[in-house]
Amino acid sequence: MSKHYQMGEITVKALREANFEIYKGEFIVVLGPSGSGKSTLLNILGGMDTPTEGRVFFEDKEITNLSEKELTLYRRNEVGFIFQFYNLMGNLTARENVELAVEICEDTMDIDEVLDSVGLLERADHFPSQMSGGEQQRVAIARAAAKNPKVLLCDEPTGALDYETGISILKVLKKINKEYNRTVAVITHNASIGEIADRVIKMRSGKITEYYKNDNPLDPERIEW
Amino acid sequence: MKKLNVRLLRNIKNSKGQFIAIISVVITGLFIFVAMNNASTNLRTSLYEYYDITNFADMYVDVIKVPDNEITDILGKEGIINAEGRVVLDVPLITSTQDERVNVRTISVDENENQINKLYMQEGERNLGPKECIVLGQFAEARGIEVGDIMSIQLSGRQYDLNVVGIAIYPEYTYLVEDEQSFMPTPEKFGVVFIEKEYLKNITNFSQSSNDVIFKVDESVDYDKFKDFIEDEWDNYGVRRVTERENQLSNNMLHQEIEGLEQISGSVPIVFLLVAAVILASMMSKNVKNDRTTIGIFKALGYTNKSILMHYVKYALVIGIIGGVLGTVLGTILSGFMTNLYTEFFALPLLKVQIYPMNIVIAVILSSIFCSIAGLWGAKDILKISPAESMRRETPKSGHRILIEKVKFIWNKVTFSWKMVIRNIFREKKKFIFISMGAAFTVAMMIMTFWMWIVFDDMFNVHYGEFMKMDYNVTFSQPVNTDVIKDLEKITQVDTIEGNMEMPFELINGRESKVVNVIGVEKNTEMYGFRDEYGNKVPLEEGGMLLSSNLANSLNLKIGDKVLVHNYIPNKEDIYIEITGLVNQTLGINGYMDLHYMSRTLTGYNTINGVYVNTDRNIIQDLENIKNISSVKSSQDMRDVFYEYLDLMIISIIYMLIFSGILGFVIIYSMSVMSINERKMEFSSLRVLGFGKNEIFGIILKENALMSIIGIIYGIPLGYIFVDYLGRMFTTDLYTLNLPVGVSQVVLSIVFTIICLTGAQLATYRKISRLDFIEALKSRTT
Repeated sequence: MSKHYQMGEITVKALREANFEIYKGEFIVVLGPSGSGKSTLLNILGGMDTPTEGRVFFEDKEITNLSEKELTLYRRNEVGFIFQFYNLMGNLTARENVELAVEICEDTMDIDEVLDSVGLLERADHFPSQMSGGEQQRVAIARAAAKNPKVLLCDEPTGALDYETGISILKVLKKINKEYNRTVAVITHNASIGEIADRVIKMRSGKITEYYKNDNPLDPERIEW
Repeated sequence: MKKLNVRLLRNIKNSKGQFIAIISVVITGLFIFVAMNNASTNLRTSLYEYYDITNFADMYVDVIKVPDNEITDILGKEGIINAEGRVVLDVPLITSTQDERVNVRTISVDENENQINKLYMQEGERNLGPKECIVLGQFAEARGIEVGDIMSIQLSGRQYDLNVVGIAIYPEYTYLVEDEQSFMPTPEKFGVVFIEKEYLKNITNFSQSSNDVIFKVDESVDYDKFKDFIEDEWDNYGVRRVTERENQLSNNMLHQEIEGLEQISGSVPIVFLLVAAVILASMMSKNVKNDRTTIGIFKALGYTNKSILMHYVKYALVIGIIGGVLGTVLGTILSGFMTNLYTEFFALPLLKVQIYPMNIVIAVILSSIFCSIAGLWGAKDILKISPAESMRRETPKSGHRILIEKVKFIWNKVTFSWKMVIRNIFREKKKFIFISMGAAFTVAMMIMTFWMWIVFDDMFNVHYGEFMKMDYNVTFSQPVNTDVIKDLEKITQVDTIEGNMEMPFELINGRESKVVNVIGVEKNTEMYGFRDEYGNKVPLEEGGMLLSSNLANSLNLKIGDKVLVHNYIPNKEDIYIEITGLVNQTLGINGYMDLHYMSRTLTGYNTINGVYVNTDRNIIQDLENIKNISSVKSSQDMRDVFYEYLDLMIISIIYMLIFSGILGFVIIYSMSVMSINERKMEFSSLRVLGFGKNEIFGIILKENALMSIIGIIYGIPLGYIFVDYLGRMFTTDLYTLNLPVGVSQVVLSIVFTIICLTGAQLATYRKISRLDFIEALKSRTT
């Protein structure tokens, strides 16, 4: 698929003929410097954006020809998003932020269980402003995971965090990947994170430069940056 | 509760100032609507109920003298269902105070119950015998007359003592005024007493005859045909005037008041709701813009456009519902007070006061729909937000130089902070238009209010000082010979005394016609200051008639035209008279003629029915015992009436000032708060750069001040337009409002506007001082 933007008089080619597959239950890392097109890729996978050319399939279903309404349902039921800046609702507590996502889905996970698995059950009634960055990101993960989606799409989830917190977030993501058998796609510019992935996609200037399977993914605790 | 609703409630809590501000505008609008609408509905239904109970007459015929058998003869003809002949005479009341002149209108009624215009008893007995009377409630109250008292009146020079057996209100005098020329009721100076028919007829030379007939007619009866019929049938009895129910003085005044209420309740609330809608729409649009990322996240979580849109529209809906409910509840409470006030003022039994649940429901639904549409309009951009796009930072607005920057020698002298202010104003054109319009509207409303304050004062001063220059207006109960002037001159020892003749005639020009009093005065009268609209003196020509310009307008007449004067005096022909001038008359409408010319052409004998007197002396006592004098009015009496009226005016003026103030305050406050929310990042960056809270507040203050000043500047001509409109709207037969707006009113309006706007501005200071700039800069929670 390809994606072109029109910025005034300039056409930005954010994605150029990207072609790849992601398999169920895998932990994928999309690596690349800023401006390489990885966020665009993630947005298209998540049904938040559409490619200019090409087709995208989720399982057997083509999502590139879905209507606006079908895309909404796709985002609601199949995908969970995690953002670099957490993007929590400031005037809802941690639990309410999770409930916000859950109440529109059907087959969801138990909220307490998810909060517990991200280590936040104790702080569930706190507002985002009363939490550290790492805690806020864990709320964001809980929010995405509690919907019980098939895929978790994470846009620079550790980008705004210090090293230790970043590792702890990766551990949570890995845990959800393994324990709940969820496909997790993480995009990052941090090459070290690639080492924990089952599969790595490297990008530059909108093109996929490398695409390989990592036979020996490391435990998050063993990586450094 | 759904988490979106939880978020909504907390958002409301966080922006409560703004929320309350908009709600208060909605409340004010609905409050006025419901209060006035209910009051007018109550008043209307009470009035109709009252008219039903008392069998209010459909036609009134004023005649010199008609035999009673003639009245029974025409029953059944021309749709006449019922008729009642009466004797109606204005006579002086004999009072214990020497220098007081009080008029009463004696009306003959049946011994027990009359058929038409029944008395609505408040106290005492309805049964009347000779030497007994029933007194009109308003008059009794004003003069402290009670059942059992003795009232003395003077009839044809004789004193009659009447025993007061009852107190009643009467549908014909619900609004108690003596005639068309009276501006306001003066119940202590003019009243009505009801006397048994046969007794009154016997003492007044009206045996077996009447001078006033009231009719109940079939619904299909047309006024013009009825009038022609009566004039033909009773040609020999001197039909002076035929009035239909619609134009009956008290009924007409009441309807004008009710319609006035309806007009206000139909227009003013629209302004408030429109302002609320515009604020809501722009607030929504700003919120959506600020919440761009949040909306993106909602979409990423799988929320549909519809549910997100609804989430935002609910904010407006809540305002509509709460504002609607509070506005209608407060309005309903006030309408109770208002209806009471009106029924007391109009001497109307409070027959039908009720709460109209349907009106309340409709008001709440309408306000909810109104606010929701505004919310929808403002939030519609939600649909355009692409979730992927919203995650990216918004590209900065394209900056460009504004026109004034090209004028280097000015721009270079502008300080840095003013440069920022000026650029911001010109880049945010919508905000500029809205804030300046808010200020313009406030100042215009204030100008209108202050103008109203002085216009009535001026109207009376001009009318009773510059136009009518006499100190006393003495009227006789019947026409007298001009020799009386000399006698009066001797009795009262005054310097200037002039005779006059005031009589009703119907002036006809093509299809237009009007019954007005034509006043005959001395050719070189000192009692009137006839001036045209430019202030030039208008001479009273011998062979013509002067018309008040309002009357000329309604009859479509101009100088040089001839008007047909229909004469009510028996055996007098209708004649054409030339209009020789138009005069400015702020109160009432009349025609003026040279007294001698009028005698020759219209009244036919060298007689007068009144005199004007100029003197510093109090002549009331001198005239007390003179036969034939029916009233003595001093110009001071009329002015006093006005001061009572002014008290009522002041209350409505205060209301208007408050309402205009609320509007100005809310507009500026809401727009400032929106501006602060929207520019949190900008202000935080400035704080990081070392700007103090006051300096940031200063930026907003300067922006708003500049926009408000521009608004005030164009608000002044807008105020003139409002005044012009109001003047036209309120100019009726009764009075003309055409006073120019004075500098002092403009200055006062500007001062008041600035006070309101400054208040609103200071209220936003808290927002700035509580701005956590570090948090604003680093936070991405939404």
